[in-house]
This record gives sequence, structure tokens and C-alpha cells, in this order.
Amino acid sequence: MRDPLNRRILREIKGEAGKYAVIFIFMVALIGIASGYFIADESLKVAYDNSFADYNIEDGNLEFAEKPDSSVLEACEDEDITLCENTYKDAPCDDDSTVRLFTERKKVNKVSLLDGGLPAAEDEIALDRLYMKSNDIQQGDTIVLDGHGYKITGIIALPDYSALYKDISDFMFDTEKFGVGIVTESGFDRVSDSYVHWSYSWKYDDPPAEVFGSEATERGDELVKALAKKAVLTNYIPTCRNSAIKFAGNDLGHDRIMMIVMLDMLIVIIAFVFAVTTSNTITKEANVIGTLRASGYTRFEMIRHYLAAPMIVLLIACIIGNVLGYTVFKDLMADMYLGSYSLVSYKTLWNPNAFIDTTVIPMIILIAINVIMLASKLSLSPLKFIRRDLKRHQRKKAFKLNTKIPIMTRYRLRVLFQNYAGYLTIVVGIFFASVIMLFSQMFSPLIDKFSEDSINSMISRNTYILKAPVPTGDEDAEKFAAGSLKIVRGDFTEDVSVYGISADSRYFHAALGSDAVKVSSAYADKYGLKVGDSITLSDEYGENEYTFDFSGVYEYPSALVVFMDIDFFNETFDMDEGYFSGYFSNRELDDIDEKYIASIVTEDEVTKTSRQLRRSMGNMMSIFVVLGIAVVVLVVYLLSKVMIEKNAQSISVAKILGYEPREISGIYIRTTTIVTVLSFLLCIPLESKALDWLWRAMMMEYPGWLAPDVPASAYIKTVVMGLATYFVTTFLLKRKVNKIPMDEALKNTE
Amino acid sequence: MFIEICDIKKAFGEGESRVEVLKGISFELEKGEFCVLLGPSGSGKSTLLNIIGGIDRADSGHISIGGEKTADMNEKALTRYRRKHLGYIFQMYNLIPNLNIKENIEVGAYLSDNPLNVDDILKTLGLYEHRHKLPNQLSGGQQQRTAIGRAIVKNPDILLCDEPTGALDYNTSKEILRLIETVNQKYGSTVIMVTHNDAIKNMADRVVKLRDGVIRKNTLNEHKQSADELDW
Repeated sequence: MRDPLNRRILREIKGEAGKYAVIFIFMVALIGIASGYFIADESLKVAYDNSFADYNIEDGNLEFAEKPDSSVLEACEDEDITLCENTYKDAPCDDDSTVRLFTERKKVNKVSLLDGGLPAAEDEIALDRLYMKSNDIQQGDTIVLDGHGYKITGIIALPDYSALYKDISDFMFDTEKFGVGIVTESGFDRVSDSYVHWSYSWKYDDPPAEVFGSEATERGDELVKALAKKAVLTNYIPTCRNSAIKFAGNDLGHDRIMMIVMLDMLIVIIAFVFAVTTSNTITKEANVIGTLRASGYTRFEMIRHYLAAPMIVLLIACIIGNVLGYTVFKDLMADMYLGSYSLVSYKTLWNPNAFIDTTVIPMIILIAINVIMLASKLSLSPLKFIRRDLKRHQRKKAFKLNTKIPIMTRYRLRVLFQNYAGYLTIVVGIFFASVIMLFSQMFSPLIDKFSEDSINSMISRNTYILKAPVPTGDEDAEKFAAGSLKIVRGDFTEDVSVYGISADSRYFHAALGSDAVKVSSAYADKYGLKVGDSITLSDEYGENEYTFDFSGVYEYPSALVVFMDIDFFNETFDMDEGYFSGYFSNRELDDIDEKYIASIVTEDEVTKTSRQLRRSMGNMMSIFVVLGIAVVVLVVYLLSKVMIEKNAQSISVAKILGYEPREISGIYIRTTTIVTVLSFLLCIPLESKALDWLWRAMMMEYPGWLAPDVPASAYIKTVVMGLATYFVTTFLLKRKVNKIPMDEALKNTE
Repeated sequence: MFIEICDIKKAFGEGESRVEVLKGISFELEKGEFCVLLGPSGSGKSTLLNIIGGIDRADSGHISIGGEKTADMNEKALTRYRRKHLGYIFQMYNLIPNLNIKENIEVGAYLSDNPLNVDDILKTLGLYEHRHKLPNQLSGGQQQRTAIGRAIVKNPDILLCDEPTGALDYNTSKEILRLIETVNQKYGSTVIMVTHNDAIKNMADRVVKLRDGVIRKNTLNEHKQSADELDW
């Protein structure tokens, strides 16, 4: 015979419809978001990984200073590679951005056509999806490049530009200022040859086993050294070092752990909410439980019974959440990636890991926490349940409170201590909700500040990086030498710019010693450097290591930079005396031929990180706000409701005695109000530390640095939003108190 | 006349399941009078007490306390009425479990502009040494004494007692009745006590016997006994 108690499970859910509805909605949204993220992440990652074969992505590319003749190409191909022409032109657009134009590459780096068609006429173009989105360009519009109009016939993604890095040495890509496009041969010819780059892609005749493995790195590095001896190359980069290809792949799946931690922490909070509410139900039904236990029901049967309702609700929420994850939220989450990366088309894939993370593990967490609580609570003897004597240790006396404290305050304190488990869960819930909301609130000001600081700390308005040390007649220009080294941290490497500065510099406002270096504030902050430390960096191919004594920090928050005296620079890197590779200048240098300029660092350049971060993460921030508010509502409302129900009889007595509703609310709801307000305020230092830790841990995995900085306004907004949410829920709680009938006290409960 | 109860009618349920619990109850009480409402289960005595106490409303008829009709009062006014005039003692004590004994009495004192001294009451009730204990640490009699303390500390005009000895043994019941008698005599509170214990009627000034929602007998007790003299 089936357990007849099962018949009341659905009635229990129906009877507590409000409680279960709140938890259910929250869980569906949470599981939906998490599942959508995991599915989108995995589907995009698989599409990305497959794109190497599907679109025949190059193994590397090199750029010649001039159009190479066939003998040069053949000499290069002697290194067991095949070269494919990949010539492009960086065409200037009217809006100050650049579009890198290719003709359709049929052998390597094949185009992924996302919508429309490829160009057929000279005035047609298929343009990168993300560049179009960032600049609000629609299919069918006309874009003007180098003075020529091109009608956009199709939307594409190029597999070798999944991250739209204009230059592989750039700290960050900027999808607003740089895009890629495909034109016809005649369309290509319309653009001035002055923008041409003689680029060639290579494919190994015998490719390494893994695209980004150590074998690929070693072979890539060996090859470019060999090729450099055979031709005058202006650029060469194996795919394993090409950020435009590998950056998106590194980022996909990168936030998975953080999402799992966030999901599991929220599930733990939900499990505790269930534990507290179920514990309250057990207290209410103590005499029934005692009777059933006395009649022969086992403890296990009782545990199973009280676990059933939360499990059913969570299981249904998980299933619906997963369905929504595969349908609605998957696209929302994919949009986050597609807002940052120009990824090839993808198919939604069934992801068993997502099911485990969003259904199996939450169920295990819920069962574990609730079984522990239920086993402990139901371990008392049937007689104790019948007598409603559920205290494990009988207290002889209430703990003393100074009788000078007004009775209402003492009453509130007693309510507080009576419900400490519930209030503790509220504090933890508010802490967690605040961290989530603070994260979203700090984001925009952080980006603004970073952008402002980056502009304010620019060494000069224009920093010219030269391909060759050419002179200028402009007196405003000041020579410097620049290079690039690498920080190697386990499998993670990132570039550090090295600047050699003149001793009497007008642009760099700090003294540099002859044998020590200063580092940018971003570098010092990221790696926790202190004066007196030494830093070790390696060159591009890891052949040489350089160790420098670190003598101070230079305020430069936008990049990881080592500053040293120019003579020390030339001596360290075996350069000739007087060598330089760029100019600082507050004016534009008109007398340098563009072909000698590798890049110009301007305001636009130093703020592109902040622009890109805002574009790619901005939408995510509003999800965080909603999530934080939902946690506040869920935890505060449900646990306060439990406390009110637990004290229903006392509330009823108070009403009969003549206490007014506001006085009763003053006891039961104001206690929650005080705990909530204090939690929001007193958790701030802890939240600040948690957020600092979280942000630093997150940023350590990315190249570059954005120092964590939570402005006071973010705390204020978070507290105001949290409290506003709470005060809305108090209306519901007050209604609950007002609805407790006076005859509750007249029921003969023992 | 301090309390005037005039043609009170009350029914529960609808249609076929409608039950008339009070079918026109009328009687009057003087200030300081001790009235016992006597009757078997289902006679309507607790319902009548709840209506007098302003925690339930009559379908028709009215109750007037010191000239104020409770039927005319809204919820707020009824709360003020209970706060100002009434003390309530329940069969199951209904103490607030997370407050200690003294605090439970202070909860009553808080409602009054002119409460009695809490420590004096604790001593009078023999609870002074238990004042820091929680209700569940006390015997039923001690809990009921605490409930009496909570009711009388605000020096109410009317003390409503719903089967105050219903859950107590003989000796404890007599002890509680002695206390209620003392309150009635010492503070001049009007006492209305619901009971089905026939012996208790002997300590009342007035006995109102109810059966099936109507008054069977409304008598003044000419040979009133003290609580000590009661026996059952």
C-alpha cells in the first residue's frame, strides 16, 4: 500500500502556495539563467573549436614589407608550410573607424555568412556582424570607405577575427572602431593601395596535434625565426599567439566556475530557507508527528514525507528552468558573448554537464541540507513531539535582559533570539544579494573612472610607435624606446610594454634611476609589487629573461608598463646607443610618413577597453540587479512570514489584549526591519572585501588590469534598492500580521 | 448599569449548515459584579464572552459598556476598548513563549496608562522567584497565575475569564479562583467567567445559565460562597 501521507504533499504545496510560488519563480529564473549560460557557452565553444576545421583557420600569418615575388614565397614554403594570400586594406571609414577589407578567402579563414549574401558587385560589401551592431549599421545600408560607397549585402563573421583586434599588440579590441569586411576583387581595388598590407596565411603541411598546444607554440616560434631570415617581414604571428583568433576561445567557458559558485551559493540559501520553513511546519505539526511516530511510522518515513514538497517544487523548477534555458535564456546568454566576439554561426547543443550543474547538484544540495535538519529535528522521541517539547536542551530560565530596557525593546530582542536561525539566513542572504547588486552598481562608475584616469594619465596626447627610427622636425616630440616583454604565470602569459624614457623627459614626470625601473600603477596593483621587489619578465619567445629592481610606481592605470631610462633600455636589450622607436608629443606629427608609423596611442586608444567592457558586460549588469532584488524578496519575505506564522498565537493574544496593529508590527516586523537595515549597513565592509577579492580574482585571469574601486554611490544605490525592496515586502508582511485572527488564541493547543 | 447585553444573536455557517449559537441573549451587570456564565458545551457561552470581549461581532443586538455600544465601534475603536477596559484569561493561558514571566506581565502593563506595580503582582501571585523563567518551565497553575497577572496588571474594568480552571487540577483550580475573587474584591473589576463547572456558580454574584443559545436562568446569588468554601 502506498504511504497515505503522500496524499497531503500536494495539499501542503497548495496550502503554502504563496511560499512555494515565490521560491518556484525564483528557482525557475535562476536555473533558466544558469542553464542558458551553460548551454550558450558550450554551444559557442564547440562552434568555435570546430571553426578551425570547418573554416580552415590559418596556422599563422606573416606580413611582408612589400609585395613578395614568387621566389620569396617558395623559399618560405620550404619550411614545410603552404602560404595563402591574405592581402588586406585597412580602409578608413567616415566615422573615424577602420574596416579591414579582404576579398573572399576560399582556402583559409573561410567566411561564415550569417545573413544575406556575399558581395557580387564592386560597390557591395559583406560586413562583420559585431562592427555593424556596435555602429548601429543595418543590412542594406551603405558604408563609405576611403570615399567609396559600399552597399551591405550580407552579415558575416571571419574566423580569424573572432576578437576584433586591429593589431595583435593591442591591449583590447574595439568593435566600434574596427571591423572586417569582404568585397569583390574590383571592390578591393577601389580602395587606395596606400592602405594595403601584404599579408599571407600559412598552413603547416604536417600540422601540430593541437592548435594551442606547446608543440604549436614551439613550431610557430621556430618558424617565424626561420622566415625572418628569408624575407623582410613587418609582422609575423603564429595562431597560438594571435589574440584575434585565440582570445574568444580563452574567454568562452572562462566564467563557468564563477557561475557555478554563484548558482550553488544561491541554492544553499534556498535550501536553508526550505529548512527553516520546514522546521516551522514540524513545530506546528509536532503532536501529529508524535502520534504518527507512536503509531509506528519510522523516522525515515517522516523525513521522506517532509522532504517531498521542497523536492517536488525544486525538481519542477529545475525542469522548467532547463526548458527555458534551452529556449529563452540561451539566446540572452549567447548575446552576451556575441556582444563581445564576432563568432561564427553556432547550433544549440544538448549539454549534459549543464543538466548536472543546474538540476542534479542543486537537488543534492537541497536534499543534504534538509536531511541534516530533518534528521536532527525528528530525532526526538514521539512523546516529546506529543508534548510539543521540541527543545533538545531545556533551559531553566530565559537569558537575562536588563529590566531597564523598555518592555517593547526586550520583546523585540526575545523575538530576535527566538528566530536567530531565520535571521542569520536573512543576514547571509542580504550579504549575498548586496554583493550581486554592488557588482552591477560598481561596474559603470568603475569603467568611467578607468576611462577618465586613463586619459588623465596619458604620457602625451599622441604616442607614436614607429616601425623605424625616423626623425621629426617637430620640437614638441620627444624620443622614447619601446618594446614588449611577457609576464609568465603558469599557463597564463600577458604582455607588458617596456618604455625607455629620456632622462630629462618633459612628458614623464618622475625620476628614473640608471639601473632600476618604475612600473605602472596597474602593474603594481595587479601583482602586488612593493618597492624593493624585483620583477622577472621574458621576451616574446621565452628565450631570454630579464630581471629588474623595482624602484617605484608611476601613476598609469590603463596598462601594464615598465618604465626605464632610455640608455638603460638600450643597454638591456642590446640596442645601439641613441636607439629610439617612438615619439611622445602633444601635437600631431605631420612630417612622419605613415608607412613608418606602427600605431598612434591616442585618447581613443586608451579608452577602448572601457568602451568594449561596457558594450559586452552592460546587459549582464541589469540581470545582476534583478537577481539581487529577487534574493532580498525571497529571503526576507519567506523567513519573516515563517516567523510571523510561528508567533501567530502570540500575535493573536496581543490583539485580544488590546495591542494595536502598528504596535504588533512594531514587535514582529520592526525586528526584521532592524535586522535588515543593519545587515545592509554592517555588511558593507565585508561586501567591500568580498567584492575586492572577487574582482581581483576575475581580473587576474584577463590580460591588463582594472583596479577594483567601489564608489560610495554604488553602496548607497545598493542599500537604497535593497531597502526599497524590503519596504515593499513589509506591506505583504503587515497584511499577514493583520490577517491573523484573534480566535487563533482561543484554539486549545497544548 | 455598567454592562448592558441586549438581544444578542449570532449564527455560524450558511444555508443548511447554519447553526444559531446565540438566539437573543439579554442581561445586565453592575460595575464590580462577579458573573458566571454556566452551561454545557455548545451552549454559546464562549461565543457570548468573545462578543463581550470585542473579538467577535454579534449578528444583531448590542452590548453597551459604560454607555458605549461595541456594535458601533470600528476595529480601531474595538482595539482601544479592549485596551482600556478588558483583561482576558484563557483556559490554555496563552502566554508569550519567548518572554519570561515578568515580561509577560509587563506586556499587559504596557497597555495601561496607570498599571499596577509588576513586582507587587508577582509577589501577590507567588511568582516573584520564578520571574526570570520562561512559561514552559512552570506548572499549569503557575502559568495561569501569570496569565491572571497579565490581565490584572493594567487594572481593567472588566475581567473576562474563559474556563480559567478548565485545564487545572482541583487544588490549583481553587487557588486560581481565590486569586480571581481577590482581584474582584480588591480592585473592583467586573468579572465575567465562563465555566461548565457547576460548583463555581456559588462564588458569583450573578449566575447566567445558557443552553442552546438562550438564557435558561439569570439569578442573583443570595448565598455567595468564597472560593475556599467551594467543593466539587
